Amino acid sequence: MRRVAVTGIGVLSPLGNGCNKVFDAARGGRSAVARLTGVLAERLKAPLAAVVAFDAAEHFDPAKARMLDRVSQLAIVAARCATADAGLDVGSVDLDRAGVFVGIGMGGSTSMDDGYQTLYGEGSDRIKPLLILMGMHNAPAAWIGIEHGFRGPNLTYSTACSSSAVAIGEAWLRVASGSLDIALAGGSEAPLSLGSLKAWEAMHTLAAVDASDPSASCKPFSADRSGMVLGEGAAVLMLEPWDRAVARGAKIHGEILGYGLVTDASHIAKPSVEGQAAAMRAALTSAKLDPDQIDSINAHGTGTQANDAAETAAIKQIFGARAHRIPVSATKAMHGHLLGAAGALECVLSLLALQHNTALPTLHLRSSDPLCDLDYVPNAAREDAAGRTMLSNSFAFGGTNAVLVLGRAVEK
Amino acid sequence: MTNTFQRLQAIVAKDHKLDIDIITADASLESLGIDSLGVAELLFNIEDEFRVRLPVEPVDGLATVGDVARFIDTLIAAQPAPTADAALVLPLGAAPLA
Repeated sequence: MRRVAVTGIGVLSPLGNGCNKVFDAARGGRSAVARLTGVLAERLKAPLAAVVAFDAAEHFDPAKARMLDRVSQLAIVAARCATADAGLDVGSVDLDRAGVFVGIGMGGSTSMDDGYQTLYGEGSDRIKPLLILMGMHNAPAAWIGIEHGFRGPNLTYSTACSSSAVAIGEAWLRVASGSLDIALAGGSEAPLSLGSLKAWEAMHTLAAVDASDPSASCKPFSADRSGMVLGEGAAVLMLEPWDRAVARGAKIHGEILGYGLVTDASHIAKPSVEGQAAAMRAALTSAKLDPDQIDSINAHGTGTQANDAAETAAIKQIFGARAHRIPVSATKAMHGHLLGAAGALECVLSLLALQHNTALPTLHLRSSDPLCDLDYVPNAAREDAAGRTMLSNSFAFGGTNAVLVLGRAVEK
Repeated sequence: MTNTFQRLQAIVAKDHKLDIDIITADASLESLGIDSLGVAELLFNIEDEFRVRLPVEPVDGLATVGDVARFIDTLIAAQPAPTADAALVLPLGAAPLA
């Protein structure tokens, strides 16, 4: 297996657009969770979300913008940014050995919601002619492939909240094995339609509004946690063989060291301690690392009672007594749960944490829970604490658990 | 220049942010940047603007703006003659409520 470098990052997130803004906001502990307004506020019990500042008109001509759901718009722009950041001359790439790997959870949910509104709400039989192309789950990956001319595998992964960790992991496998020369890998999600928000609300997974501070509504690992807050965004990485990246003098953001993928095969929604632990173990095996070599963790940390307790138990199962000395960050308190894009955004945050050797904070952790007794880096970032090697955990409804092992960029 | 053509010109100019002067009868849709997906979108908007209903089967043979204008006139001519029945003047898609 070859070493794989991350040479480009494109990120559009509630914390900001671009690595510097995202990292500054995360290190500063600024929550992007906010109250929604308008119809969404009227119809939701807890009108909260983390929204991206994004104007499609700045990036697409009107005819093109009309045929793209927001989830594709975000993905395309993130991929453009990743390619520009990589400084890669696409003309130098064997395009048949260049792939696209995108994770997505809800598809073009806003477009589909609009279509249903036309059909059922307005009683019309006339659906917009491009709705299929806007709503299909593989639209973001397809558009990225078209824009870059990448003719290798163009794959979309939809494993709920682990989708984009899976996408990055599967891309890593292909670049590491030598079957691809280059890959754009990441995730995108734009789930803030009334239909999908109401569906999440109906599952009783969403956080209640914190009356004193709505931006503090998502409280991972805190005893008073009440659920997650949905967010939108996209993050895309350029993956290249390490030696090739070094040879062309590329800036290297970090290294993908390993990837574990284990399925619970037990319950459609209930997290499994065994499954989560097995995924972390598989990731370590894949990276040929011992648990002692992991310096910090970006947790799945959704802020639900079930996930956070299970994840804590799983981390203890892998790391034993040392689990209490490993910084564990749950950044979803700040950027919300990006579902299919969560793993990609958190992979980016982990790479930036390693670059800056800064463990990112778990905000709004003020009430201790005996079931969540690790070092979650509560409420403020910690310098000199991320170390050189991290796990980024992504667990999912459906039971597909994906864990990435990430390393600071160092020559060996 | 027919009234149909002028209304079509206005739709194309608005949807594709084009200068109305280049939307001539002889201008090919391709030259205006309207590909097959653009045509599908255009036909959808034509249904609204002209209150006509397109056939279910695919529409072929529309190469120029003039072709589209003539196609619209054909559709208008094929519409049932107006009667006192108010349902005929309902916007397309606004199905009479049960």
